[in-house]
Amino acid sequence: MSDFLNLILEPLQELFQKFKEFAPNFLAMLVILLIGILFAWLLRSVVQKLLHTLQFDSWSDRKGLTTLMRKSDMWGKPSLLAGAFVFWVTIIVALMTGLGALKINAIDQLVTQFFTYLPRALSAILILAIGYIFSGFISRAVLITAVNSGYHYAKLLAEAIRILLTTLILAMVMEQLQIAPGIVLAAFSIICGGIVLALSISFGVGGIDAARRMIERQTSGENQEPEKEDIEHL
Amino acid sequence: MSDFYQTGVVTTLHQLGKSSLEHLENELFGYSKTRPIALVLPALYSEFEGPAMPGIVQELAKVKYLNEVVLTLDNATEKERQLAREFLSPISTEIKIVHNNGKRITEIYETLKRNGLNPGERGKGRSAWLAYGYVLARGSSNIIALHDCDIVTYSRELLARLVYPVANPTLDYVFCKGYYSRVTDKMHGRVTRLLVTPLVRSLQQLVGPHGFLDFLDSFRYPLAGEFCMNTELARVNRIPWDWGLEVGSIAEVYRNYSPRRVCQVDIAATYEHKHQSLAVAEVDKGLMKMTVDICKSIFRTLASEGVVFSDGFFNSLFVSYLRQAEDTIMKYEADAMINGLSFDLHEETKSVEAFTQAISIAARAFTENSMNAAPLIPNWNRVNAAIPDILEMLKIAVDEDNK
Repeated sequence: MSDFLNLILEPLQELFQKFKEFAPNFLAMLVILLIGILFAWLLRSVVQKLLHTLQFDSWSDRKGLTTLMRKSDMWGKPSLLAGAFVFWVTIIVALMTGLGALKINAIDQLVTQFFTYLPRALSAILILAIGYIFSGFISRAVLITAVNSGYHYAKLLAEAIRILLTTLILAMVMEQLQIAPGIVLAAFSIICGGIVLALSISFGVGGIDAARRMIERQTSGENQEPEKEDIEHL
Repeated sequence: MSDFYQTGVVTTLHQLGKSSLEHLENELFGYSKTRPIALVLPALYSEFEGPAMPGIVQELAKVKYLNEVVLTLDNATEKERQLAREFLSPISTEIKIVHNNGKRITEIYETLKRNGLNPGERGKGRSAWLAYGYVLARGSSNIIALHDCDIVTYSRELLARLVYPVANPTLDYVFCKGYYSRVTDKMHGRVTRLLVTPLVRSLQQLVGPHGFLDFLDSFRYPLAGEFCMNTELARVNRIPWDWGLEVGSIAEVYRNYSPRRVCQVDIAATYEHKHQSLAVAEVDKGLMKMTVDICKSIFRTLASEGVVFSDGFFNSLFVSYLRQAEDTIMKYEADAMINGLSFDLHEETKSVEAFTQAISIAARAFTENSMNAAPLIPNWNRVNAAIPDILEMLKIAVDEDNK
């Protein structure tokens, strides 16, 4: 009978023992999470106040960041979005740190991978933001220059440059995020190579006659003596 | 039938003989290929529940030469916006509703405010201005026509006649204002008859010959809400957001273009819309607020033209206006008698007294702060310089709202 009872109690004792070991970890996770939420809330307030003081919203309106948000159908203030971004990043970091406190192997690996990947994700976002502003600036500069030079397809040219730069930036972001880097690199090289090749061929084919004339003039000029001018300059 | 006399410095296009709407519309259809036309309709949701809107929609459904219709809807919930869209469904032309109470348009106003650009308070001026912005953002129309949505006697001939002078490239007009007589069994249009015209003529007496006063006096119905213009004008015009909209718009046209390129057209034999009460005690409401805003707009425009206003000037103006208005009442009394219209002399005199008070209030407000007396919304060129992507944002907002 006692053997039978032991048979039942032993797993329960083992479970209790495991729970005793696990409970402090779980409690630690909850505390980390709670502190993380409080910290995220505080950080969001600080970031929003700071951005408000720096007139970040007006700056975003002028530099096109707000337009980017509107294109994604986001209609809040840019500073609120930045605050929300900081809040959720902090929450995710707190959650991962909390999960790390559970000391479970599978989760530990996941947490390690997350923290390894985090700098990449942040730098990808930074590349995207700076790239968007940069491509907008270059596109606008090209548009103004082309319009002032009287170029008929100024808008088309500016738009083409903006699309090319955006493609380049997206490729950089994908590379940074390590999303199929080989394919991205190959695709980008093929597209850019293709464009350059197309331009070379079109220029080459279109310029055959001009090139022939130049060569003929060069070769015939070597055989003939230059004509003497009737008028001599002093 | 009207006479063919040309008054003032702007061209007057009369309704002479028997006009052919079909012929006019056919011509407009041809012009619209190279000069696409947008119609802007500033409306409150309450107007969809009134008697005028069904008639307007029914008539607009037959118009084929419009490129787009932009309706700026105010005082409406999201559900009411959807109802308004369904209401407009018989119109085959592409319609976009600018929902002034929607979160996206509210954010557009917020964006303007945080960049130091004041779009003013809610009203027809602000709504019309935003609609111009949307038409500019789309860039698919060369001409903008605007009329109110409370015209009970609406006929599509009104729109055709309003648009024709600007749409016809051989005429070379950039701005055309509608005019009409507002007569039922009596004469309406008190603010035009008894305030604006006598006030302008009193000012002419005091200031002497003045370009703007001559220009304003040339319009037969300067407060008519119906006008048509090219899109360039919509880009450079600074308009008031309050009731000074009509006078302010005329002032901006005077500032930017030669009177030779401006005309007025007889658009309707009969014109009936909602009437407002003239409660003297309520300075911030109804017709009284309207008259104060109009006076302030005139004073501000004249001041910007170099006219100096002093207490003595205003004292003379009150007396001069009163004399002009009394003479005007006598003229209209005779006009009413010969046409068999009823004419309430007491009511007309009371209106003049109220208008005198309105001029006094406007004069005081102008003397206290001339810059804020008649606030103007920045023009779209100025807004675009401050926020280069604002028109794109506005386009996204309206297009998303209309999905």
